[in-house]
Amino acid sequence: MATFELYRRSTIGMCLTETLDEMVQSGTLSPELAIQSMTEALETQVKSKVTIKGHLHTYRFCDNVWTFILQDALFKNEETQENVGRVKIVACDSKLLTQ
Amino acid sequence: MAEQGGLEGSQPVDLSKHPSGIVPTLQNIVSTVNLDCKLDLKQIALQARNAEYNPKRFAAVIMRIREPKTTALIFASGKMVCTGAKSEQQSKLAARKYARIIQKLGFPAKFKDFKIQNIVGSCDVKFPIRLEGLAYSHGAFSSYEPELFPGLIYRMKQPKIVLLIFVSGKIVITGAKVRDETYTAFENIYPVLTEFRKIQQ
Repeated sequence: MATFELYRRSTIGMCLTETLDEMVQSGTLSPELAIQSMTEALETQVKSKVTIKGHLHTYRFCDNVWTFILQDALFKNEETQENVGRVKIVACDSKLLTQ
Repeated sequence: MAEQGGLEGSQPVDLSKHPSGIVPTLQNIVSTVNLDCKLDLKQIALQARNAEYNPKRFAAVIMRIREPKTTALIFASGKMVCTGAKSEQQSKLAARKYARIIQKLGFPAKFKDFKIQNIVGSCDVKFPIRLEGLAYSHGAFSSYEPELFPGLIYRMKQPKIVLLIFVSGKIVITGAKVRDETYTAFENIYPVLTEFRKIQQ
């Protein structure tokens, strides 16, 4: 479950939370159902994948967290792609979060 | 093996040292050095770039630099292993660079007892070899188990070097502490290889 905390901080997670809050406030949704739908939506609805390709400037692995600094990275998903001059990626194993 | 060819083209091979006319290319040098101070590996992993530290899997920080392209294993005791360099000098230079990185992180690192531990070379004799015949006539030195590994493992006694000999004529020479042992081992084996040259149909 803790895995989803990460997604909640993502743009799509924030938007979902915002919408659910609105719905709860307007009374269209019970708070319990809102929490449930959040979990379910993140589990089943988020299918988009992004590929990232770039020059690996720096990497680090410590305390089970990977840190990557990429230069001239290309972010690609189904619809669009975008070039980024410099990007820092912090990642961890989702399996460790569920334990 | 393009490198080997290029080297032959640019400067003639010293035939007194390499009667075969082939100079094995050094592929990997492993060296060790003692930094002579206790290290906090987690602090190193957090502060240095290009470092990995997963104490559950391996009790050392794995660090890489791009020039010379090498990997170092850095232990809490202050001992360090440097791998991947293509020459003895490059291996020492890389080890010095790692020691400098450790110093910059605030450890009183020294550079004690640097030693080349292993040299791996390779070359191509450019003709196929009858491994069965070689294994049979050099039974005391050879181990050829094609079901386990496609190469013949030749344990030379003098110099004490291990050679992997493949049907294709590609040779890997390992176990040397100095490059001359690699060269001597190859010059020793070369006449044997020509003897067991496979005549193609």
